[in-house]
Amino acid sequence: MPLTFIDIEKQKNWRIGILFVFLILMYFLTSAGLLFSFFQMIPLRTHFGKTLLFSAERLFLLFFFSTAVASVHFYFSAYDTVRYIRKNISATDPDPEDGIHKQLMNIMEEIHVVTGNRVRMQCVVIPSLAMNALSAIDMRGNALIAITEGLLSRLSRDQIEAVMAHEAHHIISGDCLESTVASSLFGVPASLVEKVQTFSEGRAYLSPAFIVTLVLLKLSQFLNMFISRQREYRADAGAVRMTRNPLALAEVLHILWRNWRGSGFIGSGLENLCIVNPKISSLDESEGWLANLLSTHPPIHKRISFLLSMAHARLSDLETKNKTAAIPAPSEQNKDRYFALDHKYQWQGPYTLAELALLPWFAALTWISTGGTSMQKASDMPVLNDIFMKRIAQEGTAQTSHPCPVCHHPLLKRSVEKTRVMQCKFCGGTLVHHNRVFRIIARGEDGYSERIRTLSKITLKKNQLKKITRSVKGSEQNIPLLSCPQCKNKMTRAFYSLVYLIELDRCSWCRVTWFDRDELKMLQCMIHTKMASERLF
Amino acid sequence: MIVVWIILGIVVFVLLWVIITFNLLVSLRNQVHNAWKQIDVQLKRRHDLIPNLVSTVKGAMEFEQDTLEKVINARAKAVSAVGTQKKASAENMLTQALGRLFAVMENYPDLKTNQNIMQLQEELTSTENRIGFARQLYNDLVANYRTKQEIFPNNVIVSLFAGFQKEEYFEAEESDRAVPKADISIRPE
Repeated sequence: MPLTFIDIEKQKNWRIGILFVFLILMYFLTSAGLLFSFFQMIPLRTHFGKTLLFSAERLFLLFFFSTAVASVHFYFSAYDTVRYIRKNISATDPDPEDGIHKQLMNIMEEIHVVTGNRVRMQCVVIPSLAMNALSAIDMRGNALIAITEGLLSRLSRDQIEAVMAHEAHHIISGDCLESTVASSLFGVPASLVEKVQTFSEGRAYLSPAFIVTLVLLKLSQFLNMFISRQREYRADAGAVRMTRNPLALAEVLHILWRNWRGSGFIGSGLENLCIVNPKISSLDESEGWLANLLSTHPPIHKRISFLLSMAHARLSDLETKNKTAAIPAPSEQNKDRYFALDHKYQWQGPYTLAELALLPWFAALTWISTGGTSMQKASDMPVLNDIFMKRIAQEGTAQTSHPCPVCHHPLLKRSVEKTRVMQCKFCGGTLVHHNRVFRIIARGEDGYSERIRTLSKITLKKNQLKKITRSVKGSEQNIPLLSCPQCKNKMTRAFYSLVYLIELDRCSWCRVTWFDRDELKMLQCMIHTKMASERLF
Repeated sequence: MIVVWIILGIVVFVLLWVIITFNLLVSLRNQVHNAWKQIDVQLKRRHDLIPNLVSTVKGAMEFEQDTLEKVINARAKAVSAVGTQKKASAENMLTQALGRLFAVMENYPDLKTNQNIMQLQEELTSTENRIGFARQLYNDLVANYRTKQEIFPNNVIVSLFAGFQKEEYFEAEESDRAVPKADISIRPE
């Protein structure tokens, strides 16, 4: 690392000092203004008949008062900021049982190794589909690197490492402290007020909270002028110095360029802490003295071009690589006595018993025919049911004591998108803890088959109709409510959201959600393909 | 009298310079030693993980006994190696053996569905990266230390006092210098 601790401390002191002086000046001028207005209204006259608005003593008292208020403000803004920022972005600790979170924790340790363990950094995950990352450090020395689930799920290991190294460099080099303090003075309170009060209703601009937020944000933007946009270039260079991989960071920036970076989710006052500005602004993408003064982030294309030149690569190489992974077609099997209805709702077969058991899509709820017109669910046929019983017995320790709410067979511990869930091997249902639902949705590693896409569209249409019917005719719940596998209380049934109309069973006591077969995949598909925004009628 | 003061001033200045340079070199030497110990910590972590990995994949990879044996032997050599150069060479051999094992594991799709193996592989990947980063930090510090030792007039102090030997670099192997490839494909939406 190029900087020594003394360099960092020096930088920290004078830049933070400027912010503190600004704060004193602001309070001094504000209180002087208030005092002036007050004396204009009630003029006090001395025995000489002159108005003594600003005598030396009064100015000293005013200065003393401003310094005291500024000190209190500064103390609360600079000494415990990381806690407030963490709360503001609803960040949580990574889950060690989750494959991708475990990887993130390992990467954090790797970054600690490469930085020589100079500062212990706390790594947290923001539960959002947005793609961004931010770092913060307060005067107590609490350092934080936060990354969104969306970004975490879509990047490779090397790319995540590049992001973490970039953020770690901000912390190690000390520039993060000045930006954190600059944000925390006005930006953090602004985003807190913004979070409490939503301004979506009509005439919201008249509400006091809106005015407070606006004033705080303007002050925060003013302070951002102190923050050089060069710091992002320096952090990019620092990340390359740590990881020796400029291409990975260029790839990340290229991906961030074209995706939702969290505008509306990450508070307006926290923008300068992020790897890229959550709000897309033309100022950020332009150059010149005005852009340098007002913008906290340099143009992304310029950052990418610097990194690419380090890697001896071209932008066209990155663009041609942007392709989605092919979706594997469902495998087809053949032969003998049993016929089974596959995922595409087409009869397959005939199969022998052994062949049937080996079919990847063969489940307890698969419809089976022995050749005639009658058909049964596989679990209703004793010979086939034995196959499932044997499968469950083979699972051993993966078995849990919780029964499936639909078919009452024991649920098994499984991993979906590297996240721990409980699944029923018979009916294909999945029980997921509320905290983990978002994580699974954010990931989409396995892709979606055509069947899931079609099924999602049909379900969405059907549920839209159902929703309209309910609002006209009132509630009509014909299907009995399921019992929670953990506490046995009745679960509530509701749509996932007003946009993504998938009916789910939730237990608010145990904070778990039950997804019937394919529902989790369908929800993932709807959200990723933004299916709800399509015109269905 | 003035001459005495000047001489005294020069003596004090030289003495101060000697003290400051000596302390700087000691501090840098300790940083280098600490960085070396950090590599040791990570190497120990790798040595501890390998038996677990071998025993987990042994059943599924019965036709690859040769590859597994090479990993075990390379580990044994790495554990018993003494001295920077010997240790570095033994660890590089182990890295190569592990690389071959991971390549062979690609031929066994069943292994990819095994959670334990995937976790072990992630731990080993992380350990490899940590070793790489620790080595990088060590080499950076050695370069800094060597520069400070060799520049004039610090080299005078180095020659005056014993204990400021040249530290060796942890040499990188040729395979580490492969050209990276771009991958910005977002996982399917």
